[in-house]
Amino acid sequence: MATLSIKDVRKSYGSVQVLHGVDIELEDGGFLVLLGPSGCGKSTLLNMIAGLDDTSGGDILIGGRSVVDLAPKDRNIAMVFQSYALYPTMSVERNIGFGLEMRGVDADQRKRAVDDAARLLQISHLLDRRPANLSGGQRQRVAMGRAIVRDPELFLFDEPLSNLDAKLRVEMRTEIKRLHERLGTSIVYVTHDQIEAMTLGTKVAVMKGGHIQQLADPRTIYERPANIFVASFIGSPAMNFLPGRLASSPSGVRFAANGVSVAMPAGKRQVDFDRPVILGVRPEELKAVARDEASVTGVIDVVEPTGPETMVTVQVGEQSIIARLPPRFAGRRKEPIFLAVDPASVNLFDPDSEQRIDI
Amino acid sequence: MIESKRRRRTVANIATYFVLAGLSMFCIGPMIWMLLTSLKYEADIVTQTMQYIPRRVTFDNYVAIWTQSGFPRLIGNSITVTFLTVTICVATGTLAAYAFSRFAFRGRTQLMLGYLVVRMFPAVMMIIPLYVVMRGVGLVDSRFGLALAYTSFLLPLFVWMLKGFFDSAPRELESAARIDGSTRLGAMVRIVMPLARNGLVASSVFIAIAAWNEFLFALMLTTGQGSRTWPVGLQLMVGEFQLPWGVLAAGGILSILPVVVLFAIVQRTMVQGLTAGAIKG
Amino acid sequence: MTSSSSRYLPLRALGELSETRYWMYLLLLPSLVMILLVIAYPTLYGMAISFRDMRLTRPGLDGWVGFKHYAGMWSDPVFWIALKNTVVWVTAAIVLELALGLLAATALNRDLPGTKIFAVLILLPYFLPNVVAGHMWALLLDPRLGVINDLLVRVGVLETYKAWFADPNTALAATVLVEAWHGFPFFALLLLAGLKSIPEDLYRAAAVDGAGVSAQLRLITLPMLKTVIAAAVILRVIGLVNSPDLLLILTGGGPGDATQVLSLYAFQTAYKEFNFGYASALSVVMFVILMIFAAAYIRLSRITKGEGDD
Ligand SMILES: Nc1ncnc2c1ncn2[C@@H]1O[C@H](COP(=O)(O)OP(=O)(O)OP(=O)(O)O)[C@@H](O)[C@H]1O
Ligand SMILES: [Mg+2]
Repeated sequence: MATLSIKDVRKSYGSVQVLHGVDIELEDGGFLVLLGPSGCGKSTLLNMIAGLDDTSGGDILIGGRSVVDLAPKDRNIAMVFQSYALYPTMSVERNIGFGLEMRGVDADQRKRAVDDAARLLQISHLLDRRPANLSGGQRQRVAMGRAIVRDPELFLFDEPLSNLDAKLRVEMRTEIKRLHERLGTSIVYVTHDQIEAMTLGTKVAVMKGGHIQQLADPRTIYERPANIFVASFIGSPAMNFLPGRLASSPSGVRFAANGVSVAMPAGKRQVDFDRPVILGVRPEELKAVARDEASVTGVIDVVEPTGPETMVTVQVGEQSIIARLPPRFAGRRKEPIFLAVDPASVNLFDPDSEQRIDI
Repeated sequence: MIESKRRRRTVANIATYFVLAGLSMFCIGPMIWMLLTSLKYEADIVTQTMQYIPRRVTFDNYVAIWTQSGFPRLIGNSITVTFLTVTICVATGTLAAYAFSRFAFRGRTQLMLGYLVVRMFPAVMMIIPLYVVMRGVGLVDSRFGLALAYTSFLLPLFVWMLKGFFDSAPRELESAARIDGSTRLGAMVRIVMPLARNGLVASSVFIAIAAWNEFLFALMLTTGQGSRTWPVGLQLMVGEFQLPWGVLAAGGILSILPVVVLFAIVQRTMVQGLTAGAIKG
Repeated sequence: MTSSSSRYLPLRALGELSETRYWMYLLLLPSLVMILLVIAYPTLYGMAISFRDMRLTRPGLDGWVGFKHYAGMWSDPVFWIALKNTVVWVTAAIVLELALGLLAATALNRDLPGTKIFAVLILLPYFLPNVVAGHMWALLLDPRLGVINDLLVRVGVLETYKAWFADPNTALAATVLVEAWHGFPFFALLLLAGLKSIPEDLYRAAAVDGAGVSAQLRLITLPMLKTVIAAAVILRVIGLVNSPDLLLILTGGGPGDATQVLSLYAFQTAYKEFNFGYASALSVVMFVILMIFAAAYIRLSRITKGEGDD
């Protein structure tokens, strides 16, 4: 168990810079999720923490100790790979015990540790098999067994669930959460699945193009995204964006656009009035209401009942937005619809910088 | 409609078998004929009417080639040269193939291409300077010298072929081993090598066959009994002693025997390596 | 394992070295040394020899002569004959091998039961030594007791046995046949792999769209095989141009100069006359022609990455 500090870490391949000064602090026992689209540099960062890739600059500390000059074997970490990377020529038992074997742990002790880990992951009956004779989920468990048996300071996971089918993925996600709560070891977890990020992380780093876009707990990331990229990357269906203006009115500051008029909460800070802004509203924050309570007025375009809820696509002025409404919503295409928004739940973004505006 | 379609398919199948049988006959027919010839008495070879199936079988030709010429000596030299060539290639080429497969470094592509361009060098262009250089350092007429010369065209081939096999061993396995406590060297030896073992064997056999068969370099670089390999020896015997056909055929059969056996053992992996090397990219 | 590697200190040190950034260069070093030693240096030296007089039979004759050998080539009739023969011989062999290879690959690609063994048999000649292949065919085509002569007379194609390699009209063709026997399995191998890499669905889609067998061949098979064919041809051309082995064994360039090709001429100039200077010049010219051909060919067939081994 240890803290992890990543300080101004950079990485270039030749003249191409793929990580631009990344800073992350992870508390002891924390669960850090690196989240971002393909090619944003998540694996690169993880590999540098592991020591599999060299850094081009900056420092990485595990438990307060700088590790950039250490070989992977000397960093006291364990890693679970996307492809599981089980040694095909060895039995499951030897696979799990390999790390201990390399560290010169004697056979008895090794056996005990492997048995414990296997029991924890419910794979005791598989110990004599070869990896080739395991199912995907079983391989995943063996890979995790190989990591936990060593009792390292830090676990690294690189998209460990992406090769599993949907059902198994949910199951293993829960399993990983349970393991983390039980072992209490710090974890860095790479994924491009936002649900995994939200459910597992105590801290989520959203990355894009080698930059950290936002580093915060999942709730903050979801409710107060730092910019339009984060806002649109997290949540499904995605947040609605409506371009408009901030205007002052007798009742306070309002956001106004074609078919939209939302009162802003009383802010602490002074904002410029009459400036263009982008309003971000999550689909579930929209409610169907009577005409006189409406802050958004539009025309129904598509109605998609999914069972527990109904997704309604609404044409508002030139914009199209999605509202997540109760299952028995009865509107039809082409009918007018009136929606209310909780002012406390909206986000404002600057159209030029795409950054969040706090009011 | 369906009837005619099925008939057409049957005709096509028969034609396919026909073509394959014909081509196979073209390929191994000559070898079978050589085998038959090697089992005939000289009188049955030089006859008025051709004997297709030998009426009498004899092993005299084999006895003759083995005892009446320096053939065992030639075979021994060939074994030595082949062994040395494979050893040099495996010792140096395995490391290089591994580096090419695993590391990105400046000039890697150029170096790989360089290894390829070497294949374009005419044998003669290499033979002459090699002869002069080796004569200078006393390596002409030496088995080691010949093996070195073979390295010049077999090492690049070996590296290319083996790299393909290394490429197909997942990198993540090595990463896992390094995190589990191995050094890079340990991961290579313990994890990657066992996985690429078949490829290593196939690549080695491929260059072993090439070294065993090689004729031109050997003709130029060996002058005496001490280092002469069997292709040169056999060729010179034909010229010098008017070797009877039966004996020549027996020598041919004996010398291709190891090739055929080795090829049969590893042909699957070898074919895979050859096609991957030639097509990929 | 740690305990065992700590017992072997040098190994342990090497292990630690493998974690440094110098490791890959250490891996490359041995083979690079070999390559420099047995390829780079001799090649440069060989180029140098082509500008010198070097005859081992006349040790006194040794010195720089500039372009003398290259100029001599211009007025050497054998050079021109050899050049012409090389072109004819290589072209004929490639065409024949490509045709046979395509035939074999198509047949093997149908994957009928029991055809795996044919694949092995068809590939076998490729691994046979030139020396054996040469004498084997010399036996088959022998003017007095060749079985092919016998067969041809029996079926009435020939009236009497023919001396294939001694007749200037048939010598080149006969050697092409032997060369094709030896080389077509290579084409079969590569083309088969190429055919296997074409998704079955493409043919189904074409069949649904109403394309017949010949249209499928023209629209799918050949375009998809283009790269493979291009790569196979270039590799084989290089192989053919560079290796005179079979010709040396079968005809030695004769009768007259009917089967004399550049590589053989260069080799004999070195081997028989020990005229290293001229032989080197011949092989340098051959190499340059080959490079120009390869560059033009690669550009024409637009393979940027055709690579590999034969
Ligand atoms: N060896 C390399 N040479 C050059 N560029 C590289 C190399 N490895 C990675 N990159 C580049 O670095 C960037 C980050 O790659 P990385 O593998 O970290 O992405 P990722 O976020 O893990 O994506 P994914 O979700 O697809 O795994 C990519 O743009 C990639 O093209
Ligand atoms: Mg990745």
